[in-house]
Amino acid sequence: MKKTIYLIGFLGLFQGSNLFAQLRFVKDTLEANGDSVVVTATRTERKLSNLTVPVTIINAKTIQQNGALRLTDILKEQTGLNLTSGFGAGVQLQGLNPDYTIILINGEPLVGRTAGVLDLNRIALGNIKKIEIVKGPSSSLYGSEAMAGVINIITDATVGSPITMGLRYGTYNTIDANLETKLNTKQLQYQGFYNSYSTDGYSIRPNSNSRVTTPIDRYATTQQLKWSPSSNTSLLLNTRFTKEKIQNEIAVSNNGITIYSIGKEDINDLNLSATLNHRFSKALKTSVRAYTTTYDAVQNLLTINGLPYRDVLNHNFKRIENQTDWDVRKNLQAVIGFGAVWEGVKSSRYDSEKVRKQNEIQYAFTQWEWKPSEKLTLIGGVRFDQNTQFASAYSPKLSMLYKLNNQHQFRFSIGQGFKAPDFRQLFLDFTNAAAGSYSVFGSAQAQQVIAKLDALGQIGNLFPNYYLLKALKPEYSNGLHFTWDWKINMQSSISVQLFRNDIKNLIESQQVGTYISGAQIYSYLNIGRAFTTGFELEGQHKINTNWTLSGGYQFLQTGDKDQIAEIKSGTVYTKNSQGYSRLMKLNEYVGLPNTSRHKLQVKINYNSPKGYYLNARAIYRSRWAVNNNNGNEVFDNGDVFASGYVALNSAAGKTFKNGIGVQVGMDNITNYVDAANLPNLPGRTFYTSIKYQLQNNKNK
Amino acid sequence: MKKTVSKIAMGLGLSIALIACSKESGTVVVPVSAITVKDLAADTVTGIGVDGRPQSAGTITYYSLVDNKVVASTDATTTKWDVAFTSTKILVNSGTSGPGLGGAFVFKGLFDELKTIPTDSSFATDNSNASSFAIPWGSGKGWYTYDGLTTLVNPIAGRVLVIRTASGKFAKIEILNYYKGGVTLPSTASDSDKLTKQRYYTFRYAYQPNGTKTF
Repeated sequence: MKKTIYLIGFLGLFQGSNLFAQLRFVKDTLEANGDSVVVTATRTERKLSNLTVPVTIINAKTIQQNGALRLTDILKEQTGLNLTSGFGAGVQLQGLNPDYTIILINGEPLVGRTAGVLDLNRIALGNIKKIEIVKGPSSSLYGSEAMAGVINIITDATVGSPITMGLRYGTYNTIDANLETKLNTKQLQYQGFYNSYSTDGYSIRPNSNSRVTTPIDRYATTQQLKWSPSSNTSLLLNTRFTKEKIQNEIAVSNNGITIYSIGKEDINDLNLSATLNHRFSKALKTSVRAYTTTYDAVQNLLTINGLPYRDVLNHNFKRIENQTDWDVRKNLQAVIGFGAVWEGVKSSRYDSEKVRKQNEIQYAFTQWEWKPSEKLTLIGGVRFDQNTQFASAYSPKLSMLYKLNNQHQFRFSIGQGFKAPDFRQLFLDFTNAAAGSYSVFGSAQAQQVIAKLDALGQIGNLFPNYYLLKALKPEYSNGLHFTWDWKINMQSSISVQLFRNDIKNLIESQQVGTYISGAQIYSYLNIGRAFTTGFELEGQHKINTNWTLSGGYQFLQTGDKDQIAEIKSGTVYTKNSQGYSRLMKLNEYVGLPNTSRHKLQVKINYNSPKGYYLNARAIYRSRWAVNNNNGNEVFDNGDVFASGYVALNSAAGKTFKNGIGVQVGMDNITNYVDAANLPNLPGRTFYTSIKYQLQNNKNK
Repeated sequence: MKKTVSKIAMGLGLSIALIACSKESGTVVVPVSAITVKDLAADTVTGIGVDGRPQSAGTITYYSLVDNKVVASTDATTTKWDVAFTSTKILVNSGTSGPGLGGAFVFKGLFDELKTIPTDSSFATDNSNASSFAIPWGSGKGWYTYDGLTTLVNPIAGRVLVIRTASGKFAKIEILNYYKGGVTLPSTASDSDKLTKQRYYTFRYAYQPNGTKTF
């Protein structure tokens, strides 16, 4: 039955002939958080209703009906998530920056972050089965980066139609074409997916010819092959390849003088994985996974009257891992795993783009799930990561589920997450000749490099911070999550979640000295402490068989603990409107930049038995601080904010009995534009798409 | 392509709000009143170069805190001036800048609460050869921060420039604004506004003519 839902969801369109399936669909929407199978939360297949941690599932049907093409399109409409701009579109989870959320595809991490941000536009959604979002520290299972949470994108070769084709055309000449083929035999299952996406980009910045989003051509293909020689053994091969070409002709005019530049960017992203699963007995199974991925980005900027600029980033990540699931007793299940990672980065921002900087990680984890009664589930887990480049990390987590009755469930989790220092923080070797010749040196070699410069007589002053430089420790967060799910009746349900994350050892760039010329020298130290806390409310109400209303709200408070201590000690100042300085009060403090106190989204969905659907989604985000206006390095009410805004999106379509589906949609209906702060939000856009899927009579 | 605030100087029209400064004598300490100077032009921008950076004539605006007026640049090598302004750089009449007894340091705190200059304070002098000025020059170093994204210059809250004048007396200055009219431009202001309205200092100061370190 579940499979039916996935199948249809996967194909993304209603099968008009199957009334039963449609009814199931409506139910599935309402119960999307009811009994889907989730793998990300425990690294084992568990029903959503049995999980001890908060998880959001976005299924293929939602993705398709919302007209979402890229991962960013769908994440921005989720409770508790915000998109960030700068170095691509990243995702902020419960107020924590994109650096702190690990992005997985079928359980394997994506690499290639620029300044900590992984551009989520890289990920095409055409062939995915579902997205699972785990909120809260999950390093006890996933290691580094899983500090705020985990986003796992799952594809599945085992269900679907033999051929699905889709074509979409939209504003700014945006063309997206998909082809998906499947082969399904008893022993062999294959899925091939091809996606081509191109756009002319757009310019929403007045007085500038340069485009905020540049012309892009993206090609992506994924191939998945599953071979099951016996019912106990299977081999799964996955490949994913993405190629991006970005060309931007930039013309900046200032007082009639125009500077022309041509920027070219080539990005290749390859992932390969092989997984061997074997079940020894009913109580024991194991899997061996091998994974390699390379992200390669080359950026060239040619300016008519300036120096050419070249930026190279090549990141390679290899991992081998074993995981064993053991049902010790009927109510006690164990997961035991260990693995090793070899990681290397070559970049023009390090001392030489030819030299690969390396790190090796060995790790082991275990998780025990105990169900002392039907009402109570307890999970404890721990992971240990040992690294060659920085201090090791130890990540425990405890979580529980208490099912009071059929209506009320409570979840509680407490865990520690970490993020290892990244290669930039360890190895950056960057001198900005254009802006005052300041330098930034990664902490792994800062003392060495500076000592060498000192011997050459180039160092003016060394600051106390210089002597504090040592091996960077990982950044740690302690997360607490409490969730109450209340199923009011068959039509309505709500969920309340309280969360708090306390982060310490934040790695920040600090001045460690000066050159003889007075230019600054920076490196990285573990100094910051911060927190994010708040609550989320989510609700769904099925108005009747066709209409469903759902919504989510997040209240978020953030802060830098050291700044709060300074404000309390009376050493932080702000300015009044005349420019006179005065002491800043704690209630003027607004917390971390780029975080919004309120986020709200409301969605209404219509699905008819005849295959028609319609949805309207409104997303509100309140103001967020972007710039410090008064030099106090603390964000307060007197600083520069991006205004709060509402984005209104809508899509409608119909699926015919013969497998053809059509869709039209409009995003950002009110045409809200903020070029400086929301470069990823173009004005109003339209699109229309057509899809065909070969009818498959063998629904499982 | 970003305009950086460059370092050259020039003086243009200025309007000064004059508030009489009480002269006092004897041992009774009468608090000196603060004077606000508005829109003091300091090497305003004349155009933009092919490199995208602002251009200006490179002039320096010399100011006498004693007389509360601009001093002609022909008097640059005299002790007639106490402080001088050229784009974001502020000079004192000392060292490489002038022949006076000038000096300065940046005090962290509030203008009104700086009633007595701490006895352990040390005044630095200008030494432009090593790019070191009594009032450190550069974003975040002295009196301002420069935001590369908005391309705006903002005075740092809670900074008082403590000045030793050319004749060795003491004054304190708080920079209030860097833009014409004393109003910081919104980050969305046009590029041409950001260029042409910058380099107009609005500041308040108090000068103690009796030679003590008390205001």
